[in-house]
Amino acid sequence: AGGAAGAGAAGGAGGAGACPERADTCRALRPWRPRATFYSAPRVCCCRTHSDAKLKDPFSLAQKDLIHLYEDIKKELLVSTAELRALCEYYFDGKGKALRPMIVVLMARACNIHSHRTADLLPAQRSIAMISEMIHTASLVHDDVIDGADTRRGKTTINEVWGERKAILAGDFILSAASMALARIGNTAVVSVLTQVIEDLVRGEFMQLGSKDSENERFRHYLEKTFKKTASLIANSCKAVSILVNSDPQVHEIAYQYGRNVGIAFQLVDDVLDFTVCANQLGKPSGADLKLGLATGPVLFACQKFPELHAMIMRRFCSEGDVDRAWRFVLESDGVEKTNYLAQRYCREAIRQISQLRPSTERDALIRLTELVLTRNK
Amino acid sequence: MAVWSRLPSVGLVSRAPRSLSVFSSTPSPPAWTRVVSDAEKIVGYPTSFMSLRCLLSDELSNVAMHVRKLAGTKHPLLNTARGFVYDSKHSLQLRGLVVLLISKAAGPGSPATDTLLQDMVSGIYPSQRSLAEITELIHTAFLVHRGIVNLKEWTCSDGPLKDMQFGNKMAVLSGDFLLANACTGLAQLNNTKVVELISSAIGDLVQGVYHENHESTAEVKEENLSVASWEDQMFLSHGALLAKSCQAAMVLAGHDTQAQGLAYQYGKHLALGHKLNSDLQPFMRSTAEPALLHLDSAPVLFHRLTVGSQGWLQQVQQTQSTTKRTDYSKLWDLVKTGTGVQQAADLCSYHGSKAMEAISCFPASEARSALENLVGAVTKI
Repeated sequence: AGGAAGAGAAGGAGGAGACPERADTCRALRPWRPRATFYSAPRVCCCRTHSDAKLKDPFSLAQKDLIHLYEDIKKELLVSTAELRALCEYYFDGKGKALRPMIVVLMARACNIHSHRTADLLPAQRSIAMISEMIHTASLVHDDVIDGADTRRGKTTINEVWGERKAILAGDFILSAASMALARIGNTAVVSVLTQVIEDLVRGEFMQLGSKDSENERFRHYLEKTFKKTASLIANSCKAVSILVNSDPQVHEIAYQYGRNVGIAFQLVDDVLDFTVCANQLGKPSGADLKLGLATGPVLFACQKFPELHAMIMRRFCSEGDVDRAWRFVLESDGVEKTNYLAQRYCREAIRQISQLRPSTERDALIRLTELVLTRNK
Repeated sequence: MAVWSRLPSVGLVSRAPRSLSVFSSTPSPPAWTRVVSDAEKIVGYPTSFMSLRCLLSDELSNVAMHVRKLAGTKHPLLNTARGFVYDSKHSLQLRGLVVLLISKAAGPGSPATDTLLQDMVSGIYPSQRSLAEITELIHTAFLVHRGIVNLKEWTCSDGPLKDMQFGNKMAVLSGDFLLANACTGLAQLNNTKVVELISSAIGDLVQGVYHENHESTAEVKEENLSVASWEDQMFLSHGALLAKSCQAAMVLAGHDTQAQGLAYQYGKHLALGHKLNSDLQPFMRSTAEPALLHLDSAPVLFHRLTVGSQGWLQQVQQTQSTTKRTDYSKLWDLVKTGTGVQQAADLCSYHGSKAMEAISCFPASEARSALENLVGAVTKI
């Protein structure tokens, strides 16, 4: 099934790449060959791990760099008001996956080895790992208020316990603490790169407010929103740690593109899981996106087979029975398979990008990670 | 701006502790307006700090469109948004103006190369103008985030819950958008010291705002009741942003730590003076206006400290009817006839003199005079 997504996008640093989304849109809208059934239907946990046992598990490899992650974050959140501190620390309880810090430290070590250094992390790179988790959490706290969510990772949300006003302030505080930690690194390029994330997160959230009328535009809109809301943080954090060790813009671009592609794949799979996993496993209720009026990948693909979905998408599934009917349409279509297949393509591109770095255990773990992203079931 | 001015002007919140009183608290309007407009002439061009780029963005136009749906509801965002238009001449842009004036008053700094000097407009560096804009963006973001409504406290009589949810959503998004723009502007200043300073001011603001209005009953805890803790609290919510922005303006021009410290002191004391002035306004009237009486305001605090906790408790009980509702006009009378008002006025002039002292070290100039006039306007009760 053709070349990798966004091939040859290694041009200028910065930016969201040379618009591979556009290419993806066109390809994504084309009917797929049955090859797509490779990863079809009900996801069962990692059936392929065994054959790849040689590749080091990224989570355990990154573990040693992340032992103090939450302690370090809490040090940044020291504030005299006990209640505000409790709110800010609420999600840093060590129970999250810390996916972003994990990718960041692995990328940092891979870049360090690539740049003829030892693999050892620079203190500033360690800070970036921490900051990435802080920015992520601050945005979750605000998202929960916007979505009116009452649980997150099996916990009652901050807004549910302390009210919306305090939740928003806690999110603002975490962000300001992250921004201070970022400034203390003392590198203006790194500040710019991670500030871009903050802007993307907000713009992505705004994009979720509207629906596009034309099918093609809708898909582009969806992928762009996905980049801004999820992938930008991973891409730019990866880029930041590469800037700290190497001055070559090509290396920055590799790091950025790896993060970008993995990030989009991660979100695509997340959108699939919203249809395939029952509530208690995901930590949030299934079909949550539909209930929020959001049309994600599986719905957009399903709409090709069931044009009736178009009207529902436009009214954001707000009529009686819309959510249930849309749900059935998605499961009766190949929306889930196609979304999974698209995720695979992004992962393949991520692998192609990262493979340009000198071989290292960490680089290989990042390759392995793409597979875990595709096979995760929660 | 055009977008915001289309907001319908119906559905004003009449009396609501949840509404924002920020816009109604400008000290003695005519004199104040003159001082501000004179000062604006000194800094070059009109102070449209709320960056047009931001106001005209798709995102905020989108919010403005949605906010119109809130007309007739009691969501505070409606008032805040209206404030962007109707009161933008007043307190909304004060912070940006002060940043520009102190930049100009302090001069070029070092090293002032010819190329840098060429970039100056009306004696102010472009980076300092950006900073003024950033300061306003952050201030406005918190006006918006201050007005988030706790949905569980909302009762049916307040109107449909759906409207409040929607208003919250818009308030979160637009506040976040303003903050994100501030962050982008900060990053473009290419000075990590300034990024750290202003980020810490955001943290201070959060801490200050966190406790605002949150004990609106007369039974505010006795323990932390002191002028010092009141000032600490007010510094966080009303002073830190201005103080640190003034300091950052000095950093951007390469001024030494002494100048930075003085600018910080000016910003801090001006802001505290301004806060005291607005706290005093409700007591300058001849009749009580219960809506304007805040129990955490300075005159009330001084009054409580004077009469002691027992005395205060008795006075509160006196003003309560059998239904346990406090008669605020009676309370207002008690405070007004006591010494609390005078003590708060004294504290206001104290902060005014500290602000004057801080800028006395800057060379005499029309910008410095304008800063002095601002102090004068703030301390004139």
